[in-house]
Amino acid sequence: MDCTKAREMIQDHIDGRLPPDSARAVREHLGACRACAAEEEELRRVGDMLRLWSAVQVGERELALSPLWTRVRAGIEERKEPGLARLLRRWFWVPVAAIVAVVALLFYPSDGARVPFHPKSFDVTVESLESDTATVALVDKGKGLPRVIWIIENGKT
Amino acid sequence: MSEKEKAHPPDEDLVRGSLAGDEGAFRDLMERYKRRAYGVARGIVGDPDEAQDVVQDAFVKAYYRLKDFRFGSNFYTWFYRLLVNQAIDRWRKTSRSQTIPFDEAWVSGDTSDPEAMVYPKTPEELAENRQLSEGLTRAIAALPEYHRTVILLREVEGLAYEEIARVLDCSVGTVMSRLHYARAKLKGALKGFREG
Repeated sequence: MDCTKAREMIQDHIDGRLPPDSARAVREHLGACRACAAEEEELRRVGDMLRLWSAVQVGERELALSPLWTRVRAGIEERKEPGLARLLRRWFWVPVAAIVAVVALLFYPSDGARVPFHPKSFDVTVESLESDTATVALVDKGKGLPRVIWIIENGKT
Repeated sequence: MSEKEKAHPPDEDLVRGSLAGDEGAFRDLMERYKRRAYGVARGIVGDPDEAQDVVQDAFVKAYYRLKDFRFGSNFYTWFYRLLVNQAIDRWRKTSRSQTIPFDEAWVSGDTSDPEAMVYPKTPEELAENRQLSEGLTRAIAALPEYHRTVILLREVEGLAYEEIARVLDCSVGTVMSRLHYARAKLKGALKGFREG
């Protein structure tokens, strides 16, 4: 067996996927070829290091994994709820938030200097009339500050 | 049932118990696989907290999908499929935009003589060698997710190619090529390390 063929088969050899005859041929080659033997050793080392690395990661998390059942059980219970109940529980804040928002808008303290404009009748005067086609301003003088309620400019409102 | 089977019932018995409403049976299944599941999830998603969430979600999902389990097949292959999909989804959502470059200084291996290196033999030795441990973490994270998954399932979990193909819903040939690529990359990374 030459090196090219041996290298093609090293992975299968490591993973125990070669038939006995091929495995024996690869072993014989590795026994006689230092370069290919080193290649196989390095590839095997990848597996060794990954197993150690994974064991370290799991070991470092051991304490946190101990109460995992509590969390899994909670997840199971949550999904046991009927769909409607789960939806209501998950989204109940939407109507509540909407109600709170509407109430807040209704009772929002208004600026004393700017009374909300809810006229029942208009006391309108023509304030400005510059020309037949230019600007017309209708102004509600009311009790407070005068308010422009309509502007006609060049025939367009 | 033998004493041994009572003490350590087969997975299928625990699945049957779970389906019959025995919560303890499902808990036993979870206890049996949670560490291994975490090891796989940790390798795929990278972050320890994310990995734990993935494991938790995968077990919750498994509980509700147990009725789909086909008796006669391996529970862990079935469960790993849920777990791996969950982990890859999580990884894509949280890390998709992050590309971790494979450190070429590790893969060159030009200045290192492999025979001069002493590699750790136990998890404790690896934990003490922070440079190597962190280097491995980075090297694993730098692999494409499916290559990372394949090599973890093969080398850490010891799954056969055919089992990995079932977990990932791909061909055995795809498993072989991904494994070949991942091993070559990690081999290159390891060559960059020397003793100490």
